[in-house]
Amino acid sequence: MGIYSQIQDQIVYYQSWYKNYCNIMHMPIRHGPVQTVKNLHKYPWLWQLAKVNRLLDMVTKGRQGNYRKATAAVVEKVVPNLMQLLDNLNTDTDRLVLHEDMVPPEILFAMGLKTWMSELLGILLPMVDSHSVEKYIDIAENAGIPPDVCSLPKGTMGIILNQEVPPVKAILTSNSPCDGGMASYQLIKNKLDIPMYQLDVPYNFYNERAINYFANELKEMIAWLETNTPGKMDWDHLRAICEERNRMAAYELELWEAIRQRPAPLAAEAVYLSHLWCFNVTPGDPGGTELFKYLVELANDNVQKNIAAVPNEKYRTVLWNPPLLHFIKLFSWAERHYGLTLIIDSMSYNRQPFIDTSTQESMLKGLAHIIMTGPMARHTRGPSENYFNDMFYIYTYFDLDMILVAGHIGCKNTAALNGILREKCRKKGIPVLIIDYDLSDPRVVSHDGIIRQMDRFMENIMKNTH
Amino acid sequence: MPPTNPFDFSRESLLESAIEQDKIPIGYTCNYVPRMLLNVGPLFPYRVNAAEQAGGTEIADIYLSQVTCSYTRSILEAVMDDQQDFLHGWVFAASCDHLRRLYDNLQYLTEPDFCHILDVPHKCGSEAISWFKQELIAFSQALSDHFDIDIQTKDISQRISEHNTLMTALHNIAIQRTNTLPPFSGSEFHRLMQAMWSLPLQSMETILSRIEEQLPNRSCPIDFKARIMVISSVLDQYEWIEAIESNGALVVADRFCTGSIPNMTPCIQTDDPFYDMARYALQTNACPRMMDTFEYRMNLIYQTIQSYHVDGVIIAPVKFCDIWGVETSQIWTFLKSKSIPVLRLEREYGFSGEGQLSTRVQAFLEQVCQ
Repeated sequence: MGIYSQIQDQIVYYQSWYKNYCNIMHMPIRHGPVQTVKNLHKYPWLWQLAKVNRLLDMVTKGRQGNYRKATAAVVEKVVPNLMQLLDNLNTDTDRLVLHEDMVPPEILFAMGLKTWMSELLGILLPMVDSHSVEKYIDIAENAGIPPDVCSLPKGTMGIILNQEVPPVKAILTSNSPCDGGMASYQLIKNKLDIPMYQLDVPYNFYNERAINYFANELKEMIAWLETNTPGKMDWDHLRAICEERNRMAAYELELWEAIRQRPAPLAAEAVYLSHLWCFNVTPGDPGGTELFKYLVELANDNVQKNIAAVPNEKYRTVLWNPPLLHFIKLFSWAERHYGLTLIIDSMSYNRQPFIDTSTQESMLKGLAHIIMTGPMARHTRGPSENYFNDMFYIYTYFDLDMILVAGHIGCKNTAALNGILREKCRKKGIPVLIIDYDLSDPRVVSHDGIIRQMDRFMENIMKNTH
Repeated sequence: MPPTNPFDFSRESLLESAIEQDKIPIGYTCNYVPRMLLNVGPLFPYRVNAAEQAGGTEIADIYLSQVTCSYTRSILEAVMDDQQDFLHGWVFAASCDHLRRLYDNLQYLTEPDFCHILDVPHKCGSEAISWFKQELIAFSQALSDHFDIDIQTKDISQRISEHNTLMTALHNIAIQRTNTLPPFSGSEFHRLMQAMWSLPLQSMETILSRIEEQLPNRSCPIDFKARIMVISSVLDQYEWIEAIESNGALVVADRFCTGSIPNMTPCIQTDDPFYDMARYALQTNACPRMMDTFEYRMNLIYQTIQSYHVDGVIIAPVKFCDIWGVETSQIWTFLKSKSIPVLRLEREYGFSGEGQLSTRVQAFLEQVCQ
């Protein structure tokens, strides 16, 4: 790598760092010093989020050229959006709705409501600082929540029990993705003492009957929101949001086509963090479409020049289950040490990306399908075929060498498939590593512990495959 | 010669005798499976009890992992040990993560001839009832096709009537637990309940009428210090209740999946038996898996405490059950707000740790008696 490229990479980093810094500093300016101090006192997690530029360090480290530009661009998208979300702490709070991560916010946006995703902090905080949700997990456990419940709902419950949630006026949730997540919302409702609507996703959802049932659930939800919040449904606005989402999804499909190439032109956070944020937090935002368009351009440019995202790409993998929240650096480490490239994760892979916007009914059905078959929702609900069919399809479609399962100790319903998974992989000759760890709590398995598991697998299993 | 204890009967031999009479047992694992529908033709519902297996679940641990509840692991282990071979089929309800995954693993490992899973909504309103009714119609068709039984609507209505008659007889016995000195212990009653969910209706009619006859001649078998209500999910071993009662408690109310509250509530009948069963399952069961029945569940607990003159409550969720784990913290908060003494005892499905259980119960009883 030439000195010119190195300088270019440094410029990418510092430009991005500066933009993010400006965005972070704009928030106290918008809110004023008094309100900012009050916010910092009431919401101590703001101190952690103020360090969000750390994400940039983690995702750009060791990455070069277009790959570095792509990952930096993703963080540049996350930071201003996050600051906008934080504006909801103090403005229009009568319109602020707490929604579960498995219930995408398109309809809420179309109704002119403000959103706060309950699990947002539980996802973002450990990404920025590995230990930052431990305090909230402990609060939940001290309130009687069993230690074996998933640490994401535990962290979320802890934040609410500690009264650090923004002043939301209504709750919107569902029975996805798991029993622990579903059950946690009754505690949240009892604690906040505000109205709650819960969407019911059927067990078998790949049929017209289920889509109709769930579309009806969405209709009832809209009526409920109109009664319990100042929001009013604007179908034209919903259409615009869905169409923007469709455009973004079209670019994402192009990106997936590009990363099927060996070596992959982009990987890891450029693929999964972009999806996680743009499709779950800000769907319908033209900025998301712009981001994916840019990612496609960078990927295609690398393909044309035959440049690999990971220069020594040796192994290609899917990450099954959510990313290791408190150890985001794992994949840049694995790239450098083993040439292991994370092509895609199960959370990003969505089989039904387009919404038919021709009528109100078709939009609701499209959204119903997206929610029911959303990543994780469709893998943790329904029969085990939902889980395995996607896994092996992805393995073939993206020309992978192994399957990496983030075996989060709190995810019981995926742990209960590990026996079948091992046997199926053995029969198909697919190397599989199930990493034992906890999604949000590094006290359960440390970063060293995770690395040791990776080392053992890569050195004992994968080195014999090439 | 003293009269024989009417609660002292062999469930196993009654089960064997039913099978010898060409009755066909169908295994089920959750109260959301309507028992009435499994009583058609020669079929009868058998609530799978794998408590004896709970000591070792080595094979099941490999497949289901050690972080699923020990109820599901015990069942899978029992199946792998061929202990459930007498069953002619399985019916599951997609009621919780663990039972769904038990269904997946059972299908994968043993491929039963008949294995059906019911898609149970998490709500109990009209749309959900309508959804579940369709599920039951499809299930009825599957039963009919597989077992070659002609299932008519009037037959199902008849089975619901018989179920209601049985529940009324059970209620007549259970209500005596509200007496100052109930004529039977909690563990005796639980033996009856274990039989209730795993024997044919006709066998149970005989047992219930014999018990009802003899109750007037019985006195309270336990010299107790406090009246206790047990709240839990699945509890299959009467020995667990016996251990509590051996410390001077009398279990007078059983709010758990295999208990009588609220399971002895009769099913309201209309001219549509599928609708009746769907509504009954969704609106009567008090499982915390339901998203819209929290108030009903808390009211049920509070009403039971009052009607059964309960002095203290023991909540005993099975370890690793998320829905009961979170619900327990809410029940705890609710009972504390009403100044009702409450003990939380996390347990495994099988009976173990008797000494530890006794210590905790003794300490709790001291607190209750103060």
